Amino acid sequence: MSAKLERLSQTLRDVLGDALLNLVTDRGEVTIEVAAADYLRVAQTLRDTPELGFEQLIDVSGVDYSAWANGEWAGKRFAAATHLLSVRHNWRLRLRAFAEDDEFPVLDSLVGVWPSANWYERETFDLYGILFSGHPDLRRILTDYGFVGHPFRKDFPVSGHVEMRYDPETGRVVYQPVTIEPRENTPRIVREEHYGDVGHG
Amino acid sequence: MSIEGVLREGFVTTSLDAVINWTRTGSLWPVTFGLACCAVEMMHAGMSRYDLDRFGVIFRASPRQSDLMIVAGTLCNKMAPALRRVYDQMPEPRWVISMGSCANGGGYYHYSYSVVRGCDRIVPVDVYVPGCPPTAEALLYGIFQLQNKIKRTNTIAR
Repeated sequence: MSAKLERLSQTLRDVLGDALLNLVTDRGEVTIEVAAADYLRVAQTLRDTPELGFEQLIDVSGVDYSAWANGEWAGKRFAAATHLLSVRHNWRLRLRAFAEDDEFPVLDSLVGVWPSANWYERETFDLYGILFSGHPDLRRILTDYGFVGHPFRKDFPVSGHVEMRYDPETGRVVYQPVTIEPRENTPRIVREEHYGDVGHG
Repeated sequence: MSIEGVLREGFVTTSLDAVINWTRTGSLWPVTFGLACCAVEMMHAGMSRYDLDRFGVIFRASPRQSDLMIVAGTLCNKMAPALRRVYDQMPEPRWVISMGSCANGGGYYHYSYSVVRGCDRIVPVDVYVPGCPPTAEALLYGIFQLQNKIKRTNTIAR
């Protein structure tokens, strides 16, 4: 770990204290995990503490851990990963918080801290169904008006539930149940040790 | 009827059908409907190297001034009602060119939850241009095929 990441990690430990559940440094990136109850307060602290100085929010994304890492996932299902940037210190941070309830995942909205979180949180809500309490305008942003379901959840079929066609009788475009079979396409991965090996098929 | 006499006077004779079809093929005005990367190839076809203008193909910004729609790109469920509305606003006679794999049948996104599996589910298509994306030449060829198709139509019933 470089001296700078070491300094960032130590500052995070000092400033956040018990709120810091986990800190991982991997591939030159620092990821911290906080409880859902501390999420908003930690975000405010990260922005307002001069030693940390995360002025910018780069991205908010959702994660569905239900089939994570080829096995049963024991922890909570949904998390929001927030990517932060400090221009002043030239360092970055990933902040992750798991939603408490798997059936009704709710996290605090960060719009009040970084206004750029607005559309990212709408996107996360649209695709994963994570609700952000305190968001001023939590509508769907990408999928169709009246879309049902959250397509990036791992239990959502890739082909969806409905498809679209023009109905000549009513003179408009209508939804109908999907008519094709869902298809799972597993790419064959050629590992480095098999390069040039014709035996793998 | 002999035409030697009238040619000298500056007349030619033909059928009205042929004249009407000739005028239609010579001024196909497409509504600009670029949806994805195919739209970039459509722009190439419109720019100076391929120069659609010399065939009388002039892109219009309004469906009410157009008689051709080039569906260039992936048609999503969210866009489909808008596409149909734009098509409905075009005056007749009107034609549709489906450009690229996605517009032809969903293409790469055939199994997706949010993509219409072919724009012929939404609007009637005259010419399908294959490719992902089709080159500007391919689109040009599709426009020629549409011109041939228009030339074959008989407007006046016999």
